[in-house]
Amino acid sequence: MWFSKILSYLRLARAYIKLNWSMQMEYRGAFVSQALAMFLNNGTWLAFWMLFFSRFPVIKGWEQADVVTLWAISAAGFGLGNAFCWNLHNLAAMVSRGELDVWMLYPRSLIPHLALGKMSATAIGDLAFGYFIYIVMVRPDLQHFLLFNLLVVAVAVVFIGFNLWRGSLAFYFGQAEVLSEQWFFAMITFSTYPNCLFDGWMKVVLYTLIPAGFVSGLPVEALRDFDFSAAAFTWLGALAVLISGAASFELGLRRYQSGNLLGMRS
Amino acid sequence: MKNSIRQSWAVAKVAARSNLAYIGEVASRTFFLAVILFIFLKLWQATYRESASAVLGGLSLSQMLWYLTVTEAIYMSAPRLAQQIDEDVRSGALAVRLLKPISYPLYCLSSALGERIVRFLANFATGAAVTFCLVGPFDCTPAAPIMLLVTVLLAFVLDGLGHLIIGLWAFWLEDTSGLLLIYTRLSMILGGMLIPMELFPDWLKSFVLFLPFPYLVWGPAHLFVHSDWLQFGQLVGLQSLYILVMLGVVNLIYGWALERISAHGG
Repeated sequence: MWFSKILSYLRLARAYIKLNWSMQMEYRGAFVSQALAMFLNNGTWLAFWMLFFSRFPVIKGWEQADVVTLWAISAAGFGLGNAFCWNLHNLAAMVSRGELDVWMLYPRSLIPHLALGKMSATAIGDLAFGYFIYIVMVRPDLQHFLLFNLLVVAVAVVFIGFNLWRGSLAFYFGQAEVLSEQWFFAMITFSTYPNCLFDGWMKVVLYTLIPAGFVSGLPVEALRDFDFSAAAFTWLGALAVLISGAASFELGLRRYQSGNLLGMRS
Repeated sequence: MKNSIRQSWAVAKVAARSNLAYIGEVASRTFFLAVILFIFLKLWQATYRESASAVLGGLSLSQMLWYLTVTEAIYMSAPRLAQQIDEDVRSGALAVRLLKPISYPLYCLSSALGERIVRFLANFATGAAVTFCLVGPFDCTPAAPIMLLVTVLLAFVLDGLGHLIIGLWAFWLEDTSGLLLIYTRLSMILGGMLIPMELFPDWLKSFVLFLPFPYLVWGPAHLFVHSDWLQFGQLVGLQSLYILVMLGVVNLIYGWALERISAHGG
């Protein structure tokens, strides 16, 4: 029963991805330029870290390869989570404007339809960048590469759950776009700096309120030490973020008020 | 000449006033500045500790944080000048702007300057408050704020001219966002926004000094923490020289661009 349900949702995801991909390919030039722009943007940050580590080779036990791994996993995970679920990135604005109506008309649960409804070219650039630097700069063996894939999916789950958290704020506070945006910036910023820099109460924050520890902490440890317990904790954290995100969305949805907007999905 | 200065002053004043009207919105964005300064503190604290040195690149930890406060305030105050020109050209709004009794590039530059000064002051005030709480004051000479104001103003003019050159390429290119991204990322890395130029490898430092980027960010920030009248004179001289060169380039490109304009109807 549950197996056929999962298969049904996977088929739905495939259909959305196929449709969104063909839409992106209609504007091929714009798609390529946006993806390349993100590649370049991430490359600049990596250049900063190269400069930094050329001068200071070890910071709290972290070396250049660890920061490259950090950028690879966070860019690829963020890219995977947002490339195919881009609607969740703007969830707070959609809720505030009462734009969920159109998505509520579909059969099955609301979250998958809403999440998969839009694709992002820049996030695909992130995804490609993450894999590119991991393969070219870290040069992993097969075992590490397989673990990397597993962790990229976990990090994508963290970002999907986190987007549900911050988007759901709009159900409770009405206009929550600025708050949601600031929370997102904090998450992205902490996800792209070595986790070893933070300790004490900040560490607690990074595994709860701003769950960047599941992006820049545990996955990097898992790959560096080939540590399956760190990988398992990453997955546990990712599932906790996703489940709590979905719960806050479903609870908030009860407070949702239609915007009575007339619109057409193109 | 006198007339142009009067016109520029009027446009800059209007832009600054309209930004002051939305000071709450400007202030809300400074949350990110607080987050990034906190992360920089942690990063550099660890770096100073591991290097077992009280001074790196001629800066103490406190000076480093104040340096980064200025560089972030400069970088985060950048207005959407190139994108605005791109939109004006693409939408045809340029035809209306050309009717104004002020040259189009001068109008754009003055408006961007007015907007940027307000944003910079808001960013700097927030950043200074955060940095003061994190590391306390540094040994600031009375001349430092004056040097900062003069050199930042010249840096804004120089950066504005860079944005103008990129924006004007909209007459020939389909999309200038890629060019803008390259420019902003170069000024971020080579301008010393994240790491002072003193800590660059020697080969990079000697190369970068011939480019305008350090004079946009590194120069004013460095003078603020290390005020020196001789260096101030050199920086102002170099900034003025680059402004003259780039003014010539803007005039040239704008002249070519005007030949491509064809407006119909009303």
